[in-house]
Amino acid sequence: MNIVAVVMLTIGAAGFVYRLLRGPSLPDRVVGLDGLLSVIVIGIIVAAARSSNGGITVETVLVAVFVGFVGTTALARFIERRGN
Amino acid sequence: MDTFAEVLLVLGSALAMIGGIGVVRFGDLFSRMHAAAKAPTLALILAAIGAAIEIGTLLAATTLTLVVVLQLLSSPVGAHALSRASRRQMTIAIDDVDELTSDEHSDP
Repeated sequence: MNIVAVVMLTIGAAGFVYRLLRGPSLPDRVVGLDGLLSVIVIGIIVAAARSSNGGITVETVLVAVFVGFVGTTALARFIERRGN
Repeated sequence: MDTFAEVLLVLGSALAMIGGIGVVRFGDLFSRMHAAAKAPTLALILAAIGAAIEIGTLLAATTLTLVVVLQLLSSPVGAHALSRASRRQMTIAIDDVDELTSDEHSDP
């Protein structure tokens, strides 16, 4: 049953990677990057649910969430100042 | 209870997949942001509840709760900043009508 989750996450990540590479404008690429990071976060959580020391593995997710927020906000400020 | 946790993990992954498909299929930036907002909110909540049940320690449950609260606080702020920044530099015209700038009630 876990393999179903991994396959679904792979399809979702492929969609976000497509938008990251082919997005017509810079905000489209930011949407792809942000969504890809959240898919990675869900992937880490799914992987940690099966591992023997999942309580420690899950703490890496905190860092990923914070880095994603800072990255999206910084890129939004950059777009606001520079244009796409 | 183990099966319940697995179902929650698969449901969260399915929502992430739906978000990815929507980001590919939708036509303009704000529709794509609508689809992309599925993955960091409800999908993360479902996956976190599933993992907390499956791991079963208090440390993991506390950390996952912190992750969910942080994501629910930060994701709308980031999406708002991004849409506000890009709104000022592009026009979203559906059927040649930009509904965000044209005022339908101004002219009789």
